Amino acid sequence: MTSMADWPIVLAPVDPDAADRLFFTDHEWDTIEAATTRIIPTDHDPGAREARAVRFIDRFLSGIDYVYAAADGSGFLRMSGKLADAWRGRIADMQETYRRGVRDLDAIAGQSFGPDFVSLSDDQQDFVLERISGAPKPVPVVRDADGANPTIQVYAFDDGLSFFDALVAHTRQGFYGDPVYGGNRGRVGWDVIGFPGPDSLKDTMDGTYSVREYYLDDYAWPDLIPHLRQAGGQ
Amino acid sequence: MEYARKPDPVDVVIVGMGASGGTAAKVLCEAGLNVVGLERGPWLRSREHFSGDEIKFLNRTYLWSDPRVNPRTVRTEENETAVPTPFSMVPQMVGGGTVHWAGWLPRPRPSDFMMRTLHGDIEGASLADWPITYDDLEPYLSKVEWAFGCAGLDGADKYEPYRSTPYPTPPLPPTRAGKRFYEACEKLGINAMPIPQALVSQAYRGRTPSNWTSFWNGYGDPSGMRSSTLDTFVPEALATGNLDLRSECYVREVTVGPDGRARGVVYIDALGREIEQDATLVLLCLGAVESARLMLMSKSRQFPDGLANSSGQVGRNATFHEYLFAVGLFNDEQPLYGFPGNYISGGSFQFYETDYDRGHIGGALIGASHVGQPVNWNFPGRPAWGSAGKDADRDFYNHAMKIGHTLHDLPVASNRVDLDPDVKDAWGLPAARITHKAHSNDIALAKWQVDKNVEILEAAGAWKTIPVYLERGRASGNTCHQHGTVRMGTDPANTVLNEWCQAHDVDNLYVLDGASFPTATGVNPTLTIMANAWRCADYIAQVHGKGRRERLPRARSGPQQVAAS
Repeated sequence: MTSMADWPIVLAPVDPDAADRLFFTDHEWDTIEAATTRIIPTDHDPGAREARAVRFIDRFLSGIDYVYAAADGSGFLRMSGKLADAWRGRIADMQETYRRGVRDLDAIAGQSFGPDFVSLSDDQQDFVLERISGAPKPVPVVRDADGANPTIQVYAFDDGLSFFDALVAHTRQGFYGDPVYGGNRGRVGWDVIGFPGPDSLKDTMDGTYSVREYYLDDYAWPDLIPHLRQAGGQ
Repeated sequence: MEYARKPDPVDVVIVGMGASGGTAAKVLCEAGLNVVGLERGPWLRSREHFSGDEIKFLNRTYLWSDPRVNPRTVRTEENETAVPTPFSMVPQMVGGGTVHWAGWLPRPRPSDFMMRTLHGDIEGASLADWPITYDDLEPYLSKVEWAFGCAGLDGADKYEPYRSTPYPTPPLPPTRAGKRFYEACEKLGINAMPIPQALVSQAYRGRTPSNWTSFWNGYGDPSGMRSSTLDTFVPEALATGNLDLRSECYVREVTVGPDGRARGVVYIDALGREIEQDATLVLLCLGAVESARLMLMSKSRQFPDGLANSSGQVGRNATFHEYLFAVGLFNDEQPLYGFPGNYISGGSFQFYETDYDRGHIGGALIGASHVGQPVNWNFPGRPAWGSAGKDADRDFYNHAMKIGHTLHDLPVASNRVDLDPDVKDAWGLPAARITHKAHSNDIALAKWQVDKNVEILEAAGAWKTIPVYLERGRASGNTCHQHGTVRMGTDPANTVLNEWCQAHDVDNLYVLDGASFPTATGVNPTLTIMANAWRCADYIAQVHGKGRRERLPRARSGPQQVAAS
């Protein structure tokens, strides 16, 4: 095996115009694309469809070739050893989760509206997603809401996610992640929320990319910290 | 199992090359000792391997320990079956937790070392004084701040204990969210200050600060601006010629000779070969979970319950510093911006010390932080999908901030790390099993501090605040902070290590990570861990290594000293 520090860089960044399918069948592709479009819908701004979130998910599920981009975004790392074994297992489980998820979407669609998820209206698709998620479609943030707030983790592992939770997580990654992975086409996700992301991963390594302008420029610590004013300034 | 030729014995073998192992390697190699450093994870190269890839670092855990390779199980009660859960998955790699961290570098306070003297016995807790005081550690806190690189603002913290040196470099400029925090604190009469951070803000010791990407918390830094042992102490140790660093080498046992002393370690290298490395001294620096696990896995005729465990205390009194916080959402015109900054911003020690009027003991360092990058920025209850989800991102990504604290949780004897009877890691060795149930003081302390965070967010003009308390009753393991499990103290009957972090039972075995902490302290632990590792490594090089022995006077933080101060 090759040490993780020396995993070779193979392949190339996902072509923003690529339309080939590495994992999904045509029907699965169309179904997942339709589902991602309900997760992050298109309105006056682009949504998951324009970002090509389905292609991001297809590449992710295709095996372990598209798990880690090279640091500079020039290709992908070819893993080996126990980490590669762990990822093979993780991706195999996730492939099964998605295959079953597509069948479940179609089954619920067929019971309620027919003939399959792709052919339903937006509202009907939302109904199916509500059923599969086990909860009503989320409502807008309101000022007063109660209930216990679960904590959030700084890291996110995919293991054990339900199909719906995986779909939501991966749609989000395909909308907002670096374009090297095949989603966020034309950086549309970043534009929607006002994130001035880098032109390339390489730019984040060599000082080219900077958000220094978003820090304060004109400040003096004693203006911010009264204790320093009392102590006679800095 | 394939065996490799046995390498020559060395003076010192260090297991784990993260915060404490990197520090010990530097001190011991510079003192002329021959050291083998064994690290189970990879030895990555910052400039070549790190960049601002959110998917890779935060969602596909390029640095975090992979739970399929290194599973952990968690339960709340002794009689439950523990469930596989990613819990405090500190990166296992050369540099350890200092590679991905935001770099919180606050100093502990004198009260942290004498919790039992100050508060007596608390029911349900196993409160203990440290066998050392703040004054014992202070010179080493300064050494780490200066050798490692640190940014801070002299005089800003009204509650700061004695410092023998100023900060080596000034703080980074504030962000807009940081400014909002300072303004709110002024309104409420709270002393805010830039939280000391493990980075250099000016050219310093050959490093030039050049990472302004804000891909910071959880990411590796390709620029060398962040202080990590991967980029500082490890290369300094290597430069002496005295360090043989072997990465992707997984130690499965500390071996014991017929005399009951540690003989060395057995490890499995990247090719799957089993290798025995003998050494005069064995230093465990794996982090409090993994150090305890390795000791419990190292069973021998002399130590049937695990190495140096005649007290039965190995693994016990574990504390984990759950991160608890409140998020504020704002609806004013002026954006706060969610992404810029180096995660840490202003903070305050004003609510750190015990105030009995609050109904609990202890307190917290509170700190404001930026919300992060687009995929993983979050607030509890955020609508997950549909137009409500898209609107939440669009409306609040650049209009949110967070204030939180790491919980100074009380030690409890039954909160512990042991070996899971069923779940095995990728090498077939038993996983660490965490048993953790929050003490009632933890829940009360968290509630008070989170409510204080809400109050500050409201003073900052938040439209909505979302508190996260410790209601679920146990730590979720959402920080990398691990302490306790292999306590230091003066009494061999109820502690494992002495004041030099040397095992009472095995005089050539040391545990230099956070495992030795008798209590958790209320600050991010890495500075204390590194300063303590330096202090103990100094002792090893200057006293033990020269065949001598010294003891600190007992009751260093006893009641007499409190009365006198």
